[in-house]
Amino acid sequence: MSTRREENRIDLLQGTLDLLILRTLLARPAHGHAIAKTIERNSDDVLQVEQGSLYPALHRLVRRGWIAAEDGLSENNRRAKYYRLTSKGRKQLRAETTKWEKLAGAIARILRPVSGEVKP
Amino acid sequence: MTRRRMLDGLDAEIRDHIRRETEENIERGMAPEEARRAALRKFGSVTRVNEETREVWSWVWLEQLLRDARDALRMQWRNPGFTLVIVVTLALGIGMNTAIFSVAHAVLLKPLDYPNPDRLVWLADYDPNIKRDIVSLNDFYEWRDHAQSYAAMAAYGYQQATLSGPGYGSQVTGVAVAGDFWTLAGAQPAMGRLFAPGEQDAVVLAWDLFQREFSGDARIVGGSVFLDGRQATVAGVLPKNFRFQFPMWWVTIQPQPPAVYIPMPPRDAERWRIANVVAALRPGIGPGHALAELHALEERALRAGEPRPLGARPVKLRVEPLREKLVAEARPTLLVLLAAGGFVLLIACVNIASLLLARSAARQREIAIRMAVGGGGARVVRQLLFESLALAVAGGVAGVAFAAGAVRALIGLSPHAVPRLAEAGMDGDALAFAAAVAMGAAMLFGAGPALSLRRTHLQSALKEGARASAGSQRIRMRRLLVAVELALSIVLLAAAGLMVKSFWRMNARPPGFAPESVLTMKIRLAGPQYADRAACEAYVRELLLRLASTPGVQSAGLSNWFLFSGAPAFPADPSPDQTRVIRLNAASPNYLQAVGARLVKGRWLTDADPAGAVLLNESMARQAFGDADPIGRSLRVPQPVTVVGVVSDLKYAKLDAEPPPEVYVRYQQLPFLRGADVAVRIAGDPSVLAPVIRKRISDIDPSQPVYDMKTLEQALADSIAPRRFNLFLLGTFASAALLLAIVGVYGVIAYSVAERTREIGVRMALGARRGRVVGMVMREGMLIAAAGIAAGLAAALVLTRLMASLLYDVRPHDPLTFAVVAIVLAATALAASMGPALKAALVDPVVALRHE
Repeated sequence: MSTRREENRIDLLQGTLDLLILRTLLARPAHGHAIAKTIERNSDDVLQVEQGSLYPALHRLVRRGWIAAEDGLSENNRRAKYYRLTSKGRKQLRAETTKWEKLAGAIARILRPVSGEVKP
Repeated sequence: MTRRRMLDGLDAEIRDHIRRETEENIERGMAPEEARRAALRKFGSVTRVNEETREVWSWVWLEQLLRDARDALRMQWRNPGFTLVIVVTLALGIGMNTAIFSVAHAVLLKPLDYPNPDRLVWLADYDPNIKRDIVSLNDFYEWRDHAQSYAAMAAYGYQQATLSGPGYGSQVTGVAVAGDFWTLAGAQPAMGRLFAPGEQDAVVLAWDLFQREFSGDARIVGGSVFLDGRQATVAGVLPKNFRFQFPMWWVTIQPQPPAVYIPMPPRDAERWRIANVVAALRPGIGPGHALAELHALEERALRAGEPRPLGARPVKLRVEPLREKLVAEARPTLLVLLAAGGFVLLIACVNIASLLLARSAARQREIAIRMAVGGGGARVVRQLLFESLALAVAGGVAGVAFAAGAVRALIGLSPHAVPRLAEAGMDGDALAFAAAVAMGAAMLFGAGPALSLRRTHLQSALKEGARASAGSQRIRMRRLLVAVELALSIVLLAAAGLMVKSFWRMNARPPGFAPESVLTMKIRLAGPQYADRAACEAYVRELLLRLASTPGVQSAGLSNWFLFSGAPAFPADPSPDQTRVIRLNAASPNYLQAVGARLVKGRWLTDADPAGAVLLNESMARQAFGDADPIGRSLRVPQPVTVVGVVSDLKYAKLDAEPPPEVYVRYQQLPFLRGADVAVRIAGDPSVLAPVIRKRISDIDPSQPVYDMKTLEQALADSIAPRRFNLFLLGTFASAALLLAIVGVYGVIAYSVAERTREIGVRMALGARRGRVVGMVMREGMLIAAAGIAAGLAAALVLTRLMASLLYDVRPHDPLTFAVVAIVLAATALAASMGPALKAALVDPVVALRHE
């Protein structure tokens, strides 16, 4: 039943999800649900994370020391775990972004002629 | 610590996440219930997220492993019958293999239990005529004095001895030793000392004899005893753990361990004396160099014109590693047995795989559910492998216990069938082997079912609801497995069948031979009163008279033999100087009748015959005179003798083809009359008559007891003890294989009938007769059997060739054996499918159809 929708969705490569999380946390620390929402909203719902898969990724980043987790209070005074970018994570984000832009540029250059043929 | 902190909060974090999502959904206008469902859907499998997140913190795999192991155990516990069958099957397979391995390891691989075992060599002069390695004692002294290649050299030989003293007297198994025997054997005295090389009239006691005859009384050390009537000093006692392990050709006739060690006579004292020789090579000297040196010594002696101690005979000197000499004969046997063990294990694994496949059908739903709730595929496979592992560990432990018992039983059953057998046991190597075999087996029988389950189609498995279906693919796989199993069994059965036939051939005997009613025993006249020959002759005459007059005795006689080697002037020989070794027997008139020889030509010898009258056995007559009639012809051995009769060949040992050429002279011709073999053919029960005969003989002179009394049948059986050992083991393996095959065939057919109950019900509802249903099921069984048997026969044709050296008078692809084996297995398969077939015929169509 959900096959149609799934086709339009882009499966996230693991590294990509990491990159998106780092990028999201650059603005301000956030809790898990907020991170998922931000990613969905900013990508016009094209990138739909199965929200659960966020957590292994968050834990992985904590383990690598790129982000840190601390307990905090959310909007309506509920306790929540907030994640924030560490300086190590900031460096990582810069490196990853550069890499990603290079890759995206290369793919775009390769794909351009094809789109020209398809849409005359 | 981060790990702890992160994971502790995980559940709350996930709950929090879902609550937020739910709240958002409600804000968007969903009903609360729907909002929560949508949130959950969006989140994905909570279990899997939890697991994957934990996995990030790595040791998770260990936790999972423990959990899986616990689950695996619980699973087995829940189904005890099934588990028991598998564990017993495995224990059988692993146990048999471990037992054989520990024997093969002890015999073939372990270093000998001596100082510097790798440098020990066996020196021999092979005599092709008697098929034995012998060295004349004088040659040994020559070698030891002059050869430079050896750090130490020792001679030893079997010697029956009479040990007597005030108040006791017994026949004991002794070993006469010379040279550096103690050094090479690594012996240290437990008490007293070990006699020096060259020292005479001394004796060293084995611990057992010291306890038995002297009650462990240390005062005997340094005292004196009579050995064969000569006074000898008890020099010392060997420790309890000393074991004599040099090659002992005599163990089959004299299986007790040596009880006394006595010095060999000095050089030139007994020129006819032969010995076995072992030596330690000097470091850096190879066997080739050592052999060349012996040849040089031999040539020098020949050039010097010294008379050879054993007469002129073909010289075939050999120097070979001692271990090789000890185990060379046992090697093919053990390799065949190892292979047979491997086959049994394979069959066991196939059987277990088949059982697990059957169960995997039943578990399909359980697995499907696990995968549906997010258990990863790899995880499911791991869980299944765990279950196999749990089974393997249980089977391995039970198998080791089984092997320990089996090895002990083997050693008890025939301790001398294989040299060094007594060293076998459950040591570290055997345990490691068992563990490796168990793990390998787990992989073997666990992998197939696990992979097949992994492919489980989620939706179809769940949809099919309660009725778990095996699917045709799985039953096809099981049929294939059973066919493989049958093929493996055929190979084992064929091997065992060939052994049985060999054994039967060995036991074949001419009519009237009846070895069970012949008692054989030995006498040795020891002590000063028999120093002169007249006394010996008087004793022997009295003995024969008394035996002949004993009620129940049909004929009795005595005999002794010695080897004659030289040129006995065979008229049939192309070159008259040719050297021959013949067995020169001296026998009293009734001895040959007593042991069951038949007169072929001429007449028996009597006491009235002159000294030069002889009998020949058939082999001798054929070799000496060809087809010509030997009666009345003469021969030189080396005195001229005249043939008066020909008797049938006697087999002294059941083994190995040709009986030796033999000449029988009158017993009065014996150069020494102090020892003889006595044979008594009796009517009636040997166990009743044996004590009577023993008594009558000891009445002549109580200080000269008879020894080694047994029926001829027993003596012959002892001579083939190694083959009995092989037959017993191979037979056990084949029976185990057959049993497993029956279980396998029965299992798969019964299972397929259960699967088809509904189909059978429909058929019967539509009018199929019960006979047809039975036929249908049987046909399935027979098709599997036919395929397995055909493949097995083909494999057996190739593989049995490897065991040719273990067979006697049977060709490795004996058609009769193969036919019998095929029929036995076909009949077994038929019987195994009979039960399920009858059950199928009893299916009640109404019940079967309602079943759904």
